[in-house]
Amino acid sequence: MLERLNTKQSSSLASSTLPNLPLTLLALGSLKIWIALTDVYDALKRSQELSSPMSSYSQLQEGIYLFEHGINPYSGGSVRHSPLLLSLFTTLFPKSRRAASVFWALSDVLGAWILVQIWRARQNVKGGWRDTLVAASYLLNPYLFLPSLALSTSTLENTLILATILLACRGRAAPSLLLLAFSTHLSLNSLVILIPVVLLLLSDPHSHLASPQPSKATLKRIGALIGTFVFYIFVLGSISTLVVNNLSWIPQTWGATLTLPDLQPNTGLWWYFFTEMFDHFRPFFLMVFTTHLLIYVAPISIKFQYDPLYATFILLGILGTFKPYATLSDPGLFFSMIAIFPEIYSYLRHPIVTALLHLHAGLLMPLFNHIWLSQGTGNANFFYATTLVFACANAAGLVDCIWAGMRLAIGQSGDKFEVVQE
Amino acid sequence: MPPLRVFLWPLTLLHLLTVALAANTETFNERLSLNSLQDGKVAAKFTFTTLLKDGKPRDPRLLEREDESQHFTIFPLALGQILRQYGVTELHLNLNAGKWNYDVWGSPEEKGVGTGGELWAWLADGANTSIDERWKGLRNALAGLFCASLGSLDELRTTIPSRAFSPEGSLPHWDLPHHIRHGSLPSENVCTENLTPFLKLLPCKSLSGIASLLNPHRLFDADWHGMGVHVLWREDEGIEVRLTFQSVFDPLRFSNGRIQDWSLKSLFNRQVERACPVAESSEILVGLPHAIYSIKPEPSSIRHKSAVFDVNTLEKPLDVSLHWRNPFQYPLVYATPSTPISIRRTLTGSSQAWGQLSVAVTNNREDPLSIIYLETMPWLVQFFLHTLETRIDGALVDNVISNLTYTLPIPHSRPTTLQMLLTLPPKKTVYLTMEVTKAFLRYTEHPPDAERGWDLPPAIFTPVRFDNDTVVPLSDERMYSSVLLADLATPDFSMPYNVIMFTCSLIAFVFGTIHNALTRKLVVVPLTDDKAKENEKNTEGS
Repeated sequence: MLERLNTKQSSSLASSTLPNLPLTLLALGSLKIWIALTDVYDALKRSQELSSPMSSYSQLQEGIYLFEHGINPYSGGSVRHSPLLLSLFTTLFPKSRRAASVFWALSDVLGAWILVQIWRARQNVKGGWRDTLVAASYLLNPYLFLPSLALSTSTLENTLILATILLACRGRAAPSLLLLAFSTHLSLNSLVILIPVVLLLLSDPHSHLASPQPSKATLKRIGALIGTFVFYIFVLGSISTLVVNNLSWIPQTWGATLTLPDLQPNTGLWWYFFTEMFDHFRPFFLMVFTTHLLIYVAPISIKFQYDPLYATFILLGILGTFKPYATLSDPGLFFSMIAIFPEIYSYLRHPIVTALLHLHAGLLMPLFNHIWLSQGTGNANFFYATTLVFACANAAGLVDCIWAGMRLAIGQSGDKFEVVQE
Repeated sequence: MPPLRVFLWPLTLLHLLTVALAANTETFNERLSLNSLQDGKVAAKFTFTTLLKDGKPRDPRLLEREDESQHFTIFPLALGQILRQYGVTELHLNLNAGKWNYDVWGSPEEKGVGTGGELWAWLADGANTSIDERWKGLRNALAGLFCASLGSLDELRTTIPSRAFSPEGSLPHWDLPHHIRHGSLPSENVCTENLTPFLKLLPCKSLSGIASLLNPHRLFDADWHGMGVHVLWREDEGIEVRLTFQSVFDPLRFSNGRIQDWSLKSLFNRQVERACPVAESSEILVGLPHAIYSIKPEPSSIRHKSAVFDVNTLEKPLDVSLHWRNPFQYPLVYATPSTPISIRRTLTGSSQAWGQLSVAVTNNREDPLSIIYLETMPWLVQFFLHTLETRIDGALVDNVISNLTYTLPIPHSRPTTLQMLLTLPPKKTVYLTMEVTKAFLRYTEHPPDAERGWDLPPAIFTPVRFDNDTVVPLSDERMYSSVLLADLATPDFSMPYNVIMFTCSLIAFVFGTIHNALTRKLVVVPLTDDKAKENEKNTEGS
């Protein structure tokens, strides 16, 4: 009773001290635009932790340049962005660097707003003091903030994924699947969250972690929604083909995700593994690593069938840890999303360890990248070691969230009992 | 067998007759030209020209059929066989060491002076085997013939720069399209093992005539040296094989003080002992200096400010020597370069992940000049074309570049080909800058001694002539920029097993933990008293 009173007090305290949502978005958004308009982009644009060949703004600009000069950008390996992105940037979206910075900042603000809406949909509330925290967790997360300053297109992809989830929470099947198809079109790995998004469309976004029950979704309805998704993918692919006039974009964009032709270092595990891989084993391990991403979909979707939003969240964590061409913004999305699942906090087993691992990796990664590639005093192993630590940090967070999500169903155990796995 | 013997004699006669006729259809000319350069060095150029009169390149449509028999007496058989085997219309091979200093030395007599190996060929399409297959066969055959690593001019290095090159000879009227294949290998140097097969292609080897001056000890000691093999077809003459060797000697290096005198003996440590009997003409040309000098022996004739020595008629052993009366004065300021343009090309940036390519082209002439700028780059250096900027006197200009064509690189295979037409204002320097990224290679793609970096091929600048709105490259006047060295990031070569082990362990650990957590049931276990007490203690403690 006392405890409950305390939380009430603290929440009322918080609601009186924290600014409301529009004010937060306005303040943080303008701060972001102000920083983005400085020359910080020039300092960050080459940072390999912030943008990969699949998401770098320089490569996007190169693609736009070639596209506008009548050279097929997909006749070689310089451009890995989707033709849709190229055509959007040559028509609708801003082309100048400063306008793009504002656009990216606005995309982030939109992402934060969507995350708050997802939070509200999950809690079934119209607002509250936590809105501000959720928005701030997205806008002030350095893993999301820095890639957005470096104009990495993964910022736009994150916003798209959040919009997909929000629309799925609201049960809007067609637009949700269209956006998911679009983000899958931009980055093939987003396919991983298709099943939980479909399940989310067929259930509700509220937290059922504490009361597991079998999903009511039928295979027929799931199949219909997947069919819709495939149709959208096909439509977007056809539009891309029309834009480029041939199919050459497929091997350069989707193919690059599967065959990893560009071994530029990033925060993921793939690049050094395939740099050091023996040539005759390369195709085999490419297959293994790609399948490995998909192998989590079924178990997590089945286990968390009662809470598909949570399953989506976990699978985004898998992507952030294991996807090819990973950048900071991929685990960033996962960690910002923790803000909308406050019910698991008390069941996390090692949040401090996870945070410290992140601190370790986050500080050493840029340093080791610099001393390897610019200063020449370190070698590739330095940076590789920090990406291993970073993967451990992501995995620690992921495993902890999976555990806490399941542990929640049992409730507080007290002193006389302990919860273990059979 | 008397009836057979009756036929044998006429047959032998007929054979001798054809050989004699064949000999008449092949001519061999040799020439050595020696010119003093303004920095006291001496440029020597050997040219050995064999002409196969009325010879024609092989029609690629007939490549599958057995070739008609060829009778060569002077024409190099080993080369001829390769040319016919792959149906090559025109071929140019250069192997050079050192950087040709255009600004001081002027334009070289033989234009292919890019550092390293360079091979390009014109082949007609229309055979069952594709041009690329024939090109592959050609470079492997030449690699074998000249003991050079031309086999490494693979698809990683092969480009199709059709705008910057034009055939030197003529192309047969077969109604078949002719295509160029070009490859440069800047890390390939010329050395004795290439000269020996080169000498074998000459009718007199290095036994007599001017070729006897080709002393490897001296040639490869020179400041700059390079050999070339050029095969072309002239419509009204026949197939011409031109073997060249150029070198730049520095007589001042060997003299005590500033004496730039030289003689054949001092340059090559050899004299011409006897003439090559099959050489139709054999002459040594010495460019006469503007200072006071004496030349020995008396030249046979003077032609265009050059003394001509006819090796066939002059008394042997022949040793030409040039003597200056005054010691050499190093010029404080070199004369304005005689070449139309001066080129500087550098790769800046200390990072192993990116850099900037900057090219400065100066027009030395008083009138505007149009040149084709050809940049071929292995895929490991990739251009950001959107960052291409041109500046004159520090101000951005946009009317210098026109007619840009760009072949994108394909990672791990095709190189970049970038061709553009530059319009250079008179007496101005145009600065081109472009950002580049350097690729990260698989550990098996690095060469031995990977930390040394990668040699990047020279850029080629070809002046053009406008012919009714079509741009005609003047290949004879092309110029090469210096080569570049790109410092690429290297992985740890001793680590493949460790990396595979670390990464796989981590993935297996996460995979195991997650699937373990997902598949096992959570159960509530009542604690025994000891453990409950322990727990209590812990909670009290905290």
